[in-house]
Amino acid sequence: MTNHWVDLKNSDVILIMGGNPAANHPVSFKWIMKAKERGAKMIVVDPRFTQSAAKADVYAQIRSGTDIAFLGGMIKYIIDNNLYFREYVVNYTDAPFLVNDDFKMPGELDGLFSGYDEKTRKYDKATWTFQLDEKGLPKRDNTLKDPRCVFQLLKKHYSRYTLDKVSAVTGTPKEKLIEVYKLYGSTGKPNRVGTELYAMGWTQHTVGTQNIRAMAIIQLLLGNIGMPGGGMNALRGESNVQGSTDYGLLFHILPGYNPTPTASLVNLQAYIDKFTPKTKEPRSVNWLSNRPKYITSYLKALYGDKATKSNDFCYSYLPKLDEGMNASWLNLFDSMYKGKFEGFFAWGQNPACSGANANKTRKALARLKWMVNVNLWENETSTFWKGPGMDPKEIQTEVFLLPCAASFEKEGSITNSSRLAQWRYKAVEPLGKAMPDAEIINELYFRVKRLYQKEGGKFPEPIIHLTWNYGEKDKDGKIKHIDIHAVAKEINGYYLEDIYDTKVTPPKLIGKKGELINGFPNLQADGTTSCGNWLYCGSYAHVDGKVVNKLAKRGKDDPTGLGLYPNWAWSWPLNRKIIYNRASVDQKGNPWDPNRPLLKWNPTKENPATGKPGMWEGDVPDGPAPPLADEKAGKLPFIMKPLGVASLFGPGLADGPFPEHYEPLECPLQENPFSKKHRINPTIKLFYSKEGGLPEDIFLSCDVRYPYVCSTYRVTEHWQTGVMTRHTPWLLELQPQVFVEISRELAAEKNIKNGDKVIVSSARGKIWAIANVTDRLKPIKVMNSTIHQVGLPYHYGWKFPVDGSGGDSANILTPTIGDPNTMIPESKAFMVNIEKA
Amino acid sequence: MARKALLISPELCIGCRACQVACKSWNQLPAEKTTNKGTYENPSDLTPTLYNRIRYVEVPSQENPVRWLFVSQRCMHCDDAGCMKICPAPGALYKTPEGIVSFNQEKCIGCKLCIAGCPFDVPRYNQKEKIAKCNLCEDRVREGMPPACAKTCPTGSITYGDRDALIASSKKAGFEKLYGQMDLGGLGVLYAFKETPRLYGLNENPRIPESIVFWHNVLKPLSYIGLGGVVAASVLHYLLIGPHKEQEEV
Amino acid sequence: MAEMVRKASAFEIFNHWVLAISCLLLALSGYGFLFKIEGITNLFGGANMMKDIHNYLGIVFSVSLFLSIFNWLKDALSFDSDDIKWIACAGGYLSKHPRVPPMGKLNTGQKFYYLALLVFGIAIAVSGFVIWLMPGQRDYVLLSHLVHNISFVVIMIAVPVHIYLATIANPGTFRIMVYGTVPYKWALKRHPKWIQELQRSK
Repeated sequence: MTNHWVDLKNSDVILIMGGNPAANHPVSFKWIMKAKERGAKMIVVDPRFTQSAAKADVYAQIRSGTDIAFLGGMIKYIIDNNLYFREYVVNYTDAPFLVNDDFKMPGELDGLFSGYDEKTRKYDKATWTFQLDEKGLPKRDNTLKDPRCVFQLLKKHYSRYTLDKVSAVTGTPKEKLIEVYKLYGSTGKPNRVGTELYAMGWTQHTVGTQNIRAMAIIQLLLGNIGMPGGGMNALRGESNVQGSTDYGLLFHILPGYNPTPTASLVNLQAYIDKFTPKTKEPRSVNWLSNRPKYITSYLKALYGDKATKSNDFCYSYLPKLDEGMNASWLNLFDSMYKGKFEGFFAWGQNPACSGANANKTRKALARLKWMVNVNLWENETSTFWKGPGMDPKEIQTEVFLLPCAASFEKEGSITNSSRLAQWRYKAVEPLGKAMPDAEIINELYFRVKRLYQKEGGKFPEPIIHLTWNYGEKDKDGKIKHIDIHAVAKEINGYYLEDIYDTKVTPPKLIGKKGELINGFPNLQADGTTSCGNWLYCGSYAHVDGKVVNKLAKRGKDDPTGLGLYPNWAWSWPLNRKIIYNRASVDQKGNPWDPNRPLLKWNPTKENPATGKPGMWEGDVPDGPAPPLADEKAGKLPFIMKPLGVASLFGPGLADGPFPEHYEPLECPLQENPFSKKHRINPTIKLFYSKEGGLPEDIFLSCDVRYPYVCSTYRVTEHWQTGVMTRHTPWLLELQPQVFVEISRELAAEKNIKNGDKVIVSSARGKIWAIANVTDRLKPIKVMNSTIHQVGLPYHYGWKFPVDGSGGDSANILTPTIGDPNTMIPESKAFMVNIEKA
Repeated sequence: MARKALLISPELCIGCRACQVACKSWNQLPAEKTTNKGTYENPSDLTPTLYNRIRYVEVPSQENPVRWLFVSQRCMHCDDAGCMKICPAPGALYKTPEGIVSFNQEKCIGCKLCIAGCPFDVPRYNQKEKIAKCNLCEDRVREGMPPACAKTCPTGSITYGDRDALIASSKKAGFEKLYGQMDLGGLGVLYAFKETPRLYGLNENPRIPESIVFWHNVLKPLSYIGLGGVVAASVLHYLLIGPHKEQEEV
Repeated sequence: MAEMVRKASAFEIFNHWVLAISCLLLALSGYGFLFKIEGITNLFGGANMMKDIHNYLGIVFSVSLFLSIFNWLKDALSFDSDDIKWIACAGGYLSKHPRVPPMGKLNTGQKFYYLALLVFGIAIAVSGFVIWLMPGQRDYVLLSHLVHNISFVVIMIAVPVHIYLATIANPGTFRIMVYGTVPYKWALKRHPKWIQELQRSK
């Protein structure tokens, strides 16, 4: 989230689209209800009338997979009706920048942007650039009139998203569209703010990233980014998945979102050159110019004294991706299916149920030589060979199940959607031989290290040279028990030497050797600091000579009254609660909305850090620099962007700088109503096409055999693939079986009664489910035909309950296709059939 | 001791059912094996191991496909409790100082008369034929803590406190009269409805069955007045008129 | 030595006491339930025990009542004009020197007592069984609860009257349920029509 959970109470209009927080993030509704108490309005846009919709002031039904159409219509409405916050847009975004004259858009190219290569299905982005002036900065027109300025191009692009077109594509009635647009558009005023809450309903599409981009554009037009009660608020789908991405558990990032190096980046300098953005804009902070400090400190944390300037700080020890290699989930399991993997650690996961196209995944597991599943229970992955359709005689995989501890059986921190990392304590001992993951890793590390030391091997140094000072060692040198605090400290980082600020006379001591660093501004690029994850630098630090675990703080004071609670645990970065908060003030540093003063520049108050007058009050500011009005030292608000302003024009994405509506891979229409030639996102990787592909990856669109739009979702009572929650009797009692929600009209058509067992089938597989016939789903009119939508939760698996009464995973139905930027599977819109069982 | 109560605001309920689970957790009640009957509601009724539950009610709506209401179903802790009235076993059902209608399974005789006495169909019986129902976490309340459901409710749809204070604050929030404010001597569980309780599946005029009222107010007194009166009359008769002795034949 | 005539058989005596004792215990436990009197439940060994005793005694009472009803049916349900005259003079109980019309084996009062027990005894028994055996069935239980308690009121009026009239109010009566016999002269005075019948059948 750019903002945070409690901040929801500050909002005036809350748009819930692409998520269902009442069901899946119930505690958030505490704050939403507080906002409603203040008179805030809530809008829900969803294919189903959900629990969130039940509490909404406005509900709009939408066809799953048409969010960009919906939002594009909103962008058009905002621009046409002058609802945008002009001062914010002109000064804080790239709206005035002029774009390359050769850049063309889908309106001209029938669904494509300029630079598309049909063979590679990729864009050459040479034309997706700004026109530069003599200083090397983008040319700009602050009147926003120049036809090549981003604003006008945006307007032109979305001029195609008329109310009639949008209504026909989404199935949302025109009056409803206007109602939503008007209400949400009302937050474009400086003293009104709107927030958006989304989850997998937006991300799990082949246009997932662009869904979110579309809303980000809206939020920027309305001036809602950086504001209390505003922002882009991703509702993470798991209590610590924010933590898992922060720590680089995805293939393409290292901890702190530093990119994973590719093989062609042969040394640290090459890495730094590639990934350290440069800017010619003197008023841009361009914070990622500090990348060298973060990557170097990271390497020092990993390899300690072994990492020196002369050996490039052991950069060569980092694993590298092949050029162009995408090792995301769908590709991983595709390779696994094709026999390219010997072994697999399924660590704290249940891929047999969690990944799209579960049947393919299960078959892929059978191609492994060995697999280790670290989990709390036996599950569909750890016993995959006993699953339906599996013949154990044909399967050679050797499977190890390592029982691990649950979150309350170990100490450590969890980072939630708010970027808030909270320290947790151990409540009970793990059962039997179950161990915390850290201990399991410790065992693994020690044994691998010892094998290398005894037997040698190819390139053992990256393992054996790791620092591993997490506690007392036994006589063999193995850490007896991982001290999780030692890990937290290593993440925070240490001064490896006395460090001085040499810019002042006499040089001022910044930090003493051995002390824990109190914030990433003090990280160094020369190897004198270590830091496991720069985002968390300052979380477990020396403050006034004492070591403070800020993640464990439980202060309940709220000085601003905006719900920042600065002393309750700790948020990254630097305990900043709302990021991009410099956009919440005008150029003089006064809050756009004096009633919600998140930040305010006090020009006379003495800044204890500099000893000079002038400091920010309120939230931790996005950098201490004075506001823009200070001609010498003032800085632009979007400190992570090289140009210092937010991007309406986003050339960094694979499928276009502006979001464009494409139909889901499997959809009910023959053609994309917005562009005849390109029904689907032209940059997605197709696992199956006319040229070939595994039969498992088949997809069938606009096919009479699978006529209903299907979505998968979650329920309050279950979590992910349900391994923990199906084994919790109190929860299984509430939601015992997989069900499919269908409209009364569809039920009547198929002669299905409420509570009947039905078979839901897609081109890839079928499962039974209990029909929940409800008025909360209604058929919608799309392009002059009636479309039925259905949906089911994905929490179930054949393994438990043992009598099979729970059902199996909805992922047996979902297609092998992902977003071109993230490869997240499109589990929210595909086509199915339903028959009585 | 000020009477305590729960205030239930269905407007704030999001149907998350943390209250159902918190109750089971605190009271260590086992789960049942259930099936999906075509609705999120599960179990489909109060049971001896389910003291409160959320009902999911779909009612017609003007502008939306439906209105989806989430209503808590549980013991109402009536002041004039029908269950206590009809219960024949001393100490089986009792009122705590806070106004909670609580139960003692050891003293319960399993006659199930309370089922007939309760206007809300609350009492349930376990396998040992003993009553089981919400007791407003009597043990927590005694220690000054809120009941588990109120404590866990994320949106404050269930709040706990002094009954008078809850009524006063609801009035301020615009609820002229709460459901349960006056009924049955005043319920210990109040509902803030903006519309008719019938929409939420609650009886507009909950009452103890007339026969029980008649029995309690008329028959009970008669059962000792009658006996006493007759005994007194007999004594009087013996004194005034005396026994019917056989006279000797003259 | 006075001549004796048998008024009650051994069986009738036994059955009467079974009925009476079960009735009294049922009444006592009944009061214990009605007013939740712990002193009474403690006597019975706790409310649970008292319930079981009450229920099984109910069976005993019902069987005994059933036998009683059949036993006295002929004598109790034959009314004539003497019964009306008996009512008119309140059975003589309102005068120190009562003059009552000739009575059969059971006098009018005793016949009314029979009727009361017939109606309200059966009512209290049946309703008791419903409460015991159909728990949770609201409508049946509510009706039975009402009937059970109305019957209880009536019986708790009728029984003390019966006890009074069968003991100290009418000396010479109690021995019927101890020895089964009464003096011939006494019977001639109290139940002349019965004596006539006896002589006729001889």
